[in-house]
Parts: sequence; structure tokens; C-alpha cells
Amino acid sequence: MKSLMFGGAWDRALAIILIVLFAGFCVFTPGFYNGLQGTLAITEEFLPFGFVALGLSVVILTGGIDLSVGSISGLSAVIMAILVKSYGVDIFLAVLVAVAVGGALGWVNGLIITRLRVEPLIATLATNFIYSSVAVALAGASPPYGFGAQFGVLGTGAVAGWIPVQLLIFVVMAIGFSVLMTRTGFGRRIVMIGYNRDAAHYAGVSVAAVERRAYAISGLTAAFAGIILASYYDAVRPDMGDILLLTSITMVVLGGISIFGGEGGILGVTLAVLILGVLRQGMLIAGFSDMVTTMLTGAILLSSIAIKNLFSSRGFDLGSALRRFTTLRRPADTIAKP
Amino acid sequence: MKSLKKALLIAASLGAMAGAAHAQTTIDTSKAIRVAMVPKLIGLSVFKANEQGAMAASKRLNINFLYTGPVTASAQGQVDIINSLTARRFNAITVTSNNPTELAPSLERAMAKGIAVVSYDSDVAPDARDFFIQDTAYPAMGKALVDSVEASTGPNAQVAILSSTPDATIQNAWLEAVKTYMAATYPNMKVVTTQYGQSSPSQSLSAGLNILHAYPLVTAIIAPDGAAEVGAAAAIEKLGLTGKVFTDGTSDPNSIRQYVKDGVIKASPLWDEVGEGKLVMYVARLAANHALKPNDTFTVPGLGTYKVNDKVIIFSEPLIFTAANIDKYQF
Repeated sequence: MKSLMFGGAWDRALAIILIVLFAGFCVFTPGFYNGLQGTLAITEEFLPFGFVALGLSVVILTGGIDLSVGSISGLSAVIMAILVKSYGVDIFLAVLVAVAVGGALGWVNGLIITRLRVEPLIATLATNFIYSSVAVALAGASPPYGFGAQFGVLGTGAVAGWIPVQLLIFVVMAIGFSVLMTRTGFGRRIVMIGYNRDAAHYAGVSVAAVERRAYAISGLTAAFAGIILASYYDAVRPDMGDILLLTSITMVVLGGISIFGGEGGILGVTLAVLILGVLRQGMLIAGFSDMVTTMLTGAILLSSIAIKNLFSSRGFDLGSALRRFTTLRRPADTIAKP
Repeated sequence: MKSLKKALLIAASLGAMAGAAHAQTTIDTSKAIRVAMVPKLIGLSVFKANEQGAMAASKRLNINFLYTGPVTASAQGQVDIINSLTARRFNAITVTSNNPTELAPSLERAMAKGIAVVSYDSDVAPDARDFFIQDTAYPAMGKALVDSVEASTGPNAQVAILSSTPDATIQNAWLEAVKTYMAATYPNMKVVTTQYGQSSPSQSLSAGLNILHAYPLVTAIIAPDGAAEVGAAAAIEKLGLTGKVFTDGTSDPNSIRQYVKDGVIKASPLWDEVGEGKLVMYVARLAANHALKPNDTFTVPGLGTYKVNDKVIIFSEPLIFTAANIDKYQF
């Protein structure tokens, strides 16, 4: 259970980083602390990444990857908008349909991966092209916009005047995902598949069925992120999800989930979402250019994977090397061996 | 009575002129203000030319100038930046938008906080800005693009269009003008295909090659986008069709200089991007001072007098680059 202890240390480190960052920006960056409500409202600008990251975590925990999340969110949002604008469907019904479509598109990813035995990287890269082309074709020359104030509440509304609706949904979803991954058989199977696919198979886990469900979940959250973006911008665009992918992967990896699968938890991802979001928005408000924040995101992705690999038993395993080093200096251990 | 009326009219117009003169001489620059210019993305030479002009003007106008934009041409990236500028309490935000709808809510929030919003080049929704500076009148641009085709290959040309994206506001407005003018003036000229290069040089090149392979009768490509015109010209040269197929579009002189000299491009309309950047800063200063009305006139030293018509200011007539004049423009 060393990895679990390590996971705990990672989460604690993330929590400390988040608190330091947030406090630092509040104190040193004029404009960042803008009353409790104003500061919390900053989360509205990055939580769509967080919704994607939650679903993507499940896929990455199985050892897979989903590159189609951006196009699924764009396509779902476009479908929602067309249902509302061209067919007069009630907007919240259209939202349900669009999220279901997202789940179905994710399920298709899973089918291609498990039935046709295509590598997840290639399969979802291919469907990414397909879904985004369909979205461009559907959206046409003037993508729909203007969905009314009622729908705008999803992206920009606040409960009791100060808790952003997005933040509330995100917290509830994060708790739900955490319970799903740690307290249910499905969640344990996901982690097991990621840790050792063959062992899971021989243990009687239907690997393919679990994987399909994982990709469907990723599709659902991606579609939901698309809906939130549509509400925030009060407009849809076929390419509106394009920016989601890379930042979301960064959030998942920074959150401590191993890119090889099988390690890490939702709490870390939740913290990583808040860290990257606060960092980017804070730096923009502090006057750094987008170039700097984008570069920093890349650097964080690299260093978090590197650190993770250094200490992971499946990478360089610096962690156990250090342990070995420290135990070597304890004569009792060496003598005990026959 | 008549003479009285006349006298009154003259007096009134004199008064109006005096008023106008008054407005131009007293741009209040006593208080330093902070103005940001947000291009569609940073690192594109046409927008850098705007920046060059804006920087020069901001010194004269007591403006603390900031040029900042997203790394890729994304509206969401612009929204992030606009939100941060709002939090930092800038006095004015000037922006050329990647699309008209997605930017609107964040610009409206900025306006609600008393920040002046000036859009230029590509407009946002009219409610989300105080003023819009249009590069050139759309019909004039359409006419220039079609006339250049006619001059290169005659009035019966088969024309292909290579644009940026299907929903790019300004490209669609120009193409609308192109089609209107073409139908009215050269009824035998026709558009056989419309393709998109996503404002990417490589995708524009391959789209250009596709056009030339698929439509051998095409003798002109209208490419009203910086990357598209370069892509179309490169495709023509690559297939050895220089002198047989021509292209024109709206690219900056630095990008097309070689193609103009090679004869792939005979005449290519744009406008003076450096001058436009200056005008943007003057309008931002006036808007931040609350010194400009939705219908108004004002003068910019060195550029001329401008009319504001329902919050829209037209910058200039198209400036047409040819082999003869292109070396005069370095941007």
C-alpha cells in the first residue's frame, strides 16, 4: 500500500499548493480578490475543463486515453443549440439529449477500441476528426447563439447570490466520481484494469465491458462541459471544445493519476483542476500574457509526469531506490537475512 | 425671410464646424489611461502592424498601452484575456474578435464596469461594444477583389474562393460583397467552388492544390484571408501555373511581396494596418473620455477626418498592392 500512501502525500502537496497560490494571488494581485462572490466567480472560467477532467480520469485510470473529448463537447453543444433553435425543443430537454449523445459517442469510442482492437490513442484521434467535422457541418455558416437568461444560469448563475452554479455542480460531481471510483465494484475494476489488465482478465473482470463504460462516462462529461460552455458564452461553435483536451489531460496527470493507469484518485484531480485554473486566471489578472501561462501549463505537465515517474514503481522507481538506500544504512536489516 | 433662413443655416453650419473643430483640438489627454489591444492571436504580422501604429499613437495620447492576445486564434482565449483586463480595471479594451457571439457576454460585463470597448477589423455583436472601426466598406472590398480578377484574366473567368472558416464574420461579409458585385458587373464570371483553409498556411496550401487539381478551368482564386491568399499563391507556383492562374486576397504586403513580384498576384487589396492601429487608439481615447457620440465626426492628425455613423467608423478605401507600389509598405 506504499502507492496509496504516496497518493496521500501527493494530494496533501496539491492542497498546500492550492492554498498558497490562492492566498498569494489574493494578497499580491490587485483585482484577484474582488469580494467573495467576485473571486469565486473566477471558477466559472475554468470549470468546464474540470468536468472534462473528471470523466477523462476514469479513462486514464484504465490505462487508456480519450482525445475526442473536445470534439464531443463541441458536437454535443451544437446539437443542443440546433434542437433548440431549429426544432423548438425545450432547452433543458435538449440538454439531456445532447449529454446522452455525448455518452453515445463515447460508447462508440469504446466499441471501436474493444471490438476492433484499435489503440485508444488512434481510435479517439480518428473519432476526434470525425466528430469535429460533423460538428462543423451541422453548425454551418452562422452557428446559433442567444439561448436566454434561464439557460445562462448554468454557466454564469450563482446560488444564494455567491456560490457559482458551476462550482456547486462540480463539487457534487467530484464527490460522485470519488464515491464511484473508491466505493463501488465498477471503480475498483477500473483501477484493476489499469494496474494490470491481464490480472483483471484472469480475475474474471469483463475488461471490454468496463472499458466501454469508461469511455461512455468520458463522453458524458465532455458533452456536459460543452453545454456549460454554451451557457457561459451564450453561443455555440463547432470548435469550442478544442481547447479542452490538453488542459484537461494536464489536470488529470497533475492530479496524480498515472498516465499508464491504475494509480491515483479523484481528490487529486479535483485539486489539480482548481490549481491550474486559479494559476492561469491569477496570472492573467497579474498581467502575464497568454504565452507565459500556456508555457507554464506545458512545464507543469512535464514536471508532474516526471516527478510521478521518478517515484513510481513502474518508472525509474526513485522512491524505492531511496528506501533501499536508507535501509542499507540500517545494519539490523542486513543481518536479519540468512 | 429667405435670406434670414440662409443666414441661420450658415450660422448653424458654422457652429457645427466650430463644434467639430473644437472636438478635434481638445482631445483631453491630461489623465493617463490604460488601453489594451486584443488581436485574434499574437504573432500574426497584420496584427503586429496594428500594434506598431497603436504604440506610436498611444505615446501622443498619454495612454499606457498593452498588446495582449491568445496564442491560438480562439475566442475562448480572448474571453479569458478580456476577463483579466476587466479585473485589472483597464479604461478601454480594443479587440478584433475571432467570432462575434462568444465574446459578447464578457465584453458586456466589461462595459457594465465602465470600460470603453472598441472593436476593429472583425466586429462583435453591436450591443457588446461602444464603437466599431471597419477596415474598409464591404462593397468597396468586394469590388476591389473582383476588379483585380477581371484585370488579370478577363470578365469570363471561372473563379474559386478560398476562405478561412465557414463562419468567419469578415470573410463572409467580403464574399457576400464579391458575389453581389460580380453578378451585377461581370455576369459571365462565375464562382465554381468555395473551400476553406482554416487560416492555416499549410491547410490553405493543400486546399489551393485541391482547387487547381479538381477545377482545371479555374483561372482565378479569390482568397480573402491572410493565410489563404499565401496558400493559393504557393499552390499556383507549385503546379507551375504562374501566368495562367492568378490569385488575390487580403494579405499583408510582407507575406505576399514575393508572389506579387513573381506575377502570381497582380493586385491585392488591403488597407494601411499601421494607420488603422493609430485610429483605434484615437477612438479608444475619445471613447474613454466619453467624448464621442454614436453619430459624430472627429479628426486624427495625419490620418484625416472620420465620420461616426451609428457607432461605426470606416477606416479607409481599399489600398491596392501591385508590383509597382508594394515596396513602399513594410508590414
